[in-house]
Amino acid sequence: MVIFLQNLVNALQWGSFYALIALGYSMVYSILMLFNFAHGDIFMVGAYIGFGVSVGLIGLAHSGLLPMPHWLILVLTILVSMFLTSFVGMIVERVGYRPLRNAPRASAAITGLMIGIILETGNLILLGARRVSFPSLIETATYDVGGVILTNKKIMIVGVSLLLSLALHQFVRRTKWGMAMRAMAFDSVVVPLMGVPLNTMAALTFAIGSALAAAAGILFGVAYPVLDPYMGIVFGWKAFVAAILGGRGSILGATLAGFLLGFTEIFVAMVFPSTLRDLIAYSIILLILTFRPHGFFGEPYSARLRL
Amino acid sequence: MAPPTTFRTFRAGWSRVPLIGWLFGALLAVTLERLVGGPLAAAVGLPKIPALFGLDIMLKKPLLIPNAFLYVLLVYGLPMGFATRASIAPANRLAAGLLRLPITVTTFVYIVFLYVIFHVWAEVNDYRALVLKLTLIAIMFTLSLNVINGYMGEFSCSHPGFMALGAYCASVFSLGLFVDTRFFGTALLPPALGPFVFPVALLLGGLLAAAGALIVAVPSFRTRGDYLAIISLAFLFIVKSLIENLEYVRGPRGLSGQPDWANLPTVFLWTVACIWSINNFVTSTIGKALNAVRDNEMAANAMTVDTRRTKMVAFLFAAFWAGIAGGLFAHVLRYVNPGTFGIQSLAEVLAMVYFGGLNSVYGSIVGAVSISLLGEALRPLEIFKWIIIPLLLILVMIYRPTGLIAFKDVDVTALFRPRTGPDEEV
Amino acid sequence: MPVLEVRKMSHNFGGLRAVNGYHLEIDAGQIRGLIGPNGAGKTTIFNLISGVYAPAEGEVSLNGRKVNGLPPHRIAAMGISRTFQNLLLWRHMTVVEHVKMAHYSRIRYGLAGAFFGTRKRHREEAEIEEKALGLLEMMGIRHLAGQVVLNLPYGAQRRVEMARALATEPRVLLLDEPTAGMNPEELVRIMEIIRRAHDELGLAILLIEHRLKVVMELCERIQTLNFGEVIAEGTPEEIRNDPKVIDAYLGKESLI
Repeated sequence: MVIFLQNLVNALQWGSFYALIALGYSMVYSILMLFNFAHGDIFMVGAYIGFGVSVGLIGLAHSGLLPMPHWLILVLTILVSMFLTSFVGMIVERVGYRPLRNAPRASAAITGLMIGIILETGNLILLGARRVSFPSLIETATYDVGGVILTNKKIMIVGVSLLLSLALHQFVRRTKWGMAMRAMAFDSVVVPLMGVPLNTMAALTFAIGSALAAAAGILFGVAYPVLDPYMGIVFGWKAFVAAILGGRGSILGATLAGFLLGFTEIFVAMVFPSTLRDLIAYSIILLILTFRPHGFFGEPYSARLRL
Repeated sequence: MAPPTTFRTFRAGWSRVPLIGWLFGALLAVTLERLVGGPLAAAVGLPKIPALFGLDIMLKKPLLIPNAFLYVLLVYGLPMGFATRASIAPANRLAAGLLRLPITVTTFVYIVFLYVIFHVWAEVNDYRALVLKLTLIAIMFTLSLNVINGYMGEFSCSHPGFMALGAYCASVFSLGLFVDTRFFGTALLPPALGPFVFPVALLLGGLLAAAGALIVAVPSFRTRGDYLAIISLAFLFIVKSLIENLEYVRGPRGLSGQPDWANLPTVFLWTVACIWSINNFVTSTIGKALNAVRDNEMAANAMTVDTRRTKMVAFLFAAFWAGIAGGLFAHVLRYVNPGTFGIQSLAEVLAMVYFGGLNSVYGSIVGAVSISLLGEALRPLEIFKWIIIPLLLILVMIYRPTGLIAFKDVDVTALFRPRTGPDEEV
Repeated sequence: MPVLEVRKMSHNFGGLRAVNGYHLEIDAGQIRGLIGPNGAGKTTIFNLISGVYAPAEGEVSLNGRKVNGLPPHRIAAMGISRTFQNLLLWRHMTVVEHVKMAHYSRIRYGLAGAFFGTRKRHREEAEIEEKALGLLEMMGIRHLAGQVVLNLPYGAQRRVEMARALATEPRVLLLDEPTAGMNPEELVRIMEIIRRAHDELGLAILLIEHRLKVVMELCERIQTLNFGEVIAEGTPEEIRNDPKVIDAYLGKESLI
C-alpha cells in the first residue's frame, strides 16, 4: 500500500509534465485543426530559457546587485521564462504556420516538424553536445507521511501544474479572449468574419501553449536537473499522444490524459522492467484509441475547445 | 520568370533530345570517368575522383570549388552536352524504333541501359556504390509512404516501423539460416544457396510489415479524421520498443553480419519492381479510388467505391514495400539496430515525400534522390546539415505546399517517345 | 413490381423529425419530381435512400430487395445512383477519370491486375475508358475528357457529375437540383440530357428541383414535401392547382 501511494505521488509529478505540454497541443489543434509538431521542442527551449534566466538571476543575486531569496528566483524564473518562451511560440506560428494557412494541413505539420529539428540543432550548435544541469534553486525538504516520502519539490511541481491548468480553464471561460478562442474553435471559417482576427488568435494560442510548455520545462529542470537538446522529443511525442487521448481540443481531457499517461508509465515501471515502459504504455494507448477513437472527452467530427 | 532569350535558344537545342539520347550521353560520361577520371582529377588538381559530382569536395575544401567545377564540366557537362546534341537525329530514330516494340520490351531495354550507367558510375569507388544503394532504398521507402500520405491523403507516422519489421524479419531469416552466429546457432542451409533465397527473406519481411500495417489499419480506418496519425505514431513507438526488448534479436545492440547479398543489381531490380508496381497501382481505377476518397468520400461512396477496402489495400501495400526496403537496407549496411527506426528516420522520410511532391511518383523519386544526395553532400558541414535541410523544406512548403513535383505519375510511353520540337518539353 | 419502393421511411436529427413516413414507388422509365421549400427534407430523403444515413424507421427496397442499412457503396453498386446539390467532384482528377471511377464495383481484374498491370487489367481499363468516353460524348463534353475538373465551367462540371452518375449503370437515378446555378442555355442542355438518359436508358428518375418549370415539364408525378412530410402528390396539373401546395410552398405567387 505504501509502495502504491509512493508511486502515486511519483506518478502525479511525472504526469504534471505531460499534462502541461499536452495542453499546448490540444489548444493549437482546437483553433487551427493542426498538430504543432514543434511543441515538444518548444518545451525543450523553455527549459533552456529557464536555465539561462535562473543562472542570470542567481548571478545577479550573488553579486549583491539585487539580493533575493532562492524561492523568489524560482518564481521569477518561471514567470520570465514563460513570457520569453511565449515569443518563441509566436515566432514558430509566424514562420511555420501562418504562411501555410491555406495549404494542406499535412504541409503545416511538416514545417512544424522541421522547425522542431532546427530548434534542436540550433541548441546543439549554440551550447554544444554537453548536457547542462539546471541550478538547484530550492533545497529539497523531505516529509515522511506514513511511510510515503513527499518532497517539497514534488508538491510544488504538482501544485504549479494544477494551478496553471486551472488558470487556463478560467482564462478560456471568463475572458473575452478565451471566449473568442472557443468561438474560433467552434467554427474557424465564420468566426473570423465576425471580427475575431484569426492571426491574433492563432498567435495567442501558440503563446499560451508555449508558456505552459516553458513552465513544464522548468518544473522538469527542478525535478531532474539534467537538460539535453533532445529532451523535447520523448516528452513532446508522448504528450501529443496524451492530448489525443484526452480528446482533441479538450482542456480537461488533456490534463487528465497527461496525468493518466504519467500513472501508466510509473505503474508499468513498478510491475515490469522499466525497459518495457514505452511498449506497454503505447500498447494501452493503442487499445484505448481502438475502442474509444475520439479519446475520453472528444466528440466525433469536432475539435471544439471545451471546458 | 522566363530565362533570358539567349539562354532559352541555347537550351532549346537540347529539347529535342529524347530520353535515350540522354542515356547515351550519361553512359559516355560515366565510361569516360571510369577510363580517364583518375588522371583527369589529378590534372585539375583534385586529390581523387570526386565521388558525388564534386559536391562532397566543395564543402570540405572550398578552395577546390573551381577545380571540382572544372572536373564536372569536363567529365559530365561537355561530353553529355555534345553527345546528346550531336546524336539528336539517330537518337530520335532509335526512340521511335524502340517504341514500335511491345512496351514491355522497350521498358526492359531502357531499364537495362539505366542499370549499365549506374553500374559503371558506381564502380569508381565503394562509397558511390553505397550511396547509390541507399538512395535507391530511399526511393522505395519514400514512394511507398507517398501512397499513404499523398495518394490517400492521410498522415501516417508508422513507416519506419514497417521498415524495421521488414529489416528484422529478413535479417533473422538470413542470419538464422545461412550464417553461423552465436545467437542463432550454426547455419542450417549452405550459404551458396543464399542469394537465391534472398527474395524469400525480403518477401517475408514485406509480409510481416503488411501484417503490422493491419494492426494500424483496422482501428484507424473505421472512423474518419486524424486517427491514423496518432495510431500509427503509437505503433512506431511500440515496434521500436518491442525490438529493444526482444532479447531474441539482441535488443538495442542490434543484429549484424547479414550476408552480403544486397548488391547493386539486386537493389536496383527491387527498386524498379517497387516503382513499377506502385505506379501500376496508382494509375489503375482501383488505385485512383484513393484520390476519390481523399477528395470527397461521400461522392466516392455514391460511385460504388468502398472506402475501407480501398484504404486498407493501399495501406498494406505501402507497408509491404516499406518492409522490402527495410530488408534491403539491413543487408546493404549489414547491421540494424532499433535506434535507426525512430522519429529521426520518420522526419527524414517525411521530408523526402513532401519535398519531392505529394501524389507523385516522379516527386518521390526526386525527393528521395535530392534529400539523400544533399544529406551526403552536406556531410562535411556535420550538424549544420540539420539546419539547412529543414530550412529548405520549410521554404518548399511555404512556396509549394504540395512539394516540387506534385500530382505526376509515370507514363512510360510519354517518357520514351522521340522529341520533335522545342515547344514540346516535358 | 416497382424498381424502387420506399415505405414509411422516417429519420430524426437530434430531436428533429427530418423525414416522417415518406413513401415512394417508381417504375422503370418514370420520372418523379420532389419539390418543397428549403429545409423540407428533400436532400435528406436522397441521403436516406442512397445509404448516407440509415433510416431510423421504414424500408427501402430496390427490385424487391431491402437495401436500407447497407453501406452507401453497396447500395450504389446495386443500382441507385445520384448527383449532389453542391457538386461533389474530385478536384485532382480528370473528367474521364471521374467517369471511369464509377465502374469501381464492376472491376474484375482485382488486386493482381492493379499491382502487376496484367493483360486483363489493360483490357478492362480500355473497355471502361471506351464506355466513359461514350458517356461523355452523350453529355457533349468528350473534348474535355483529359481536363482536371477544377478548371471547367460550372455547367460542364454539372454534366461531368451527371455522366459519372450514369456510369454506375443504375436503375434508379436520384438528381439533386441538377439545374442549380445554371444559365438558361445550360438549363436547356441539361434538361435534354435528363430526357435522353430517361429515353435511352429507361431509368427510374427521382428529381429534386427548385425550378418548377423544369419539374412540371419533365415529371409525370410530383410529390410536395413540407417539414419532412409529403403534403401533396399528383400529376403536375394536380400539384399546380392543389391549394395545400400553393399555401405551404408557393405562397400567393402564381406558378411559373
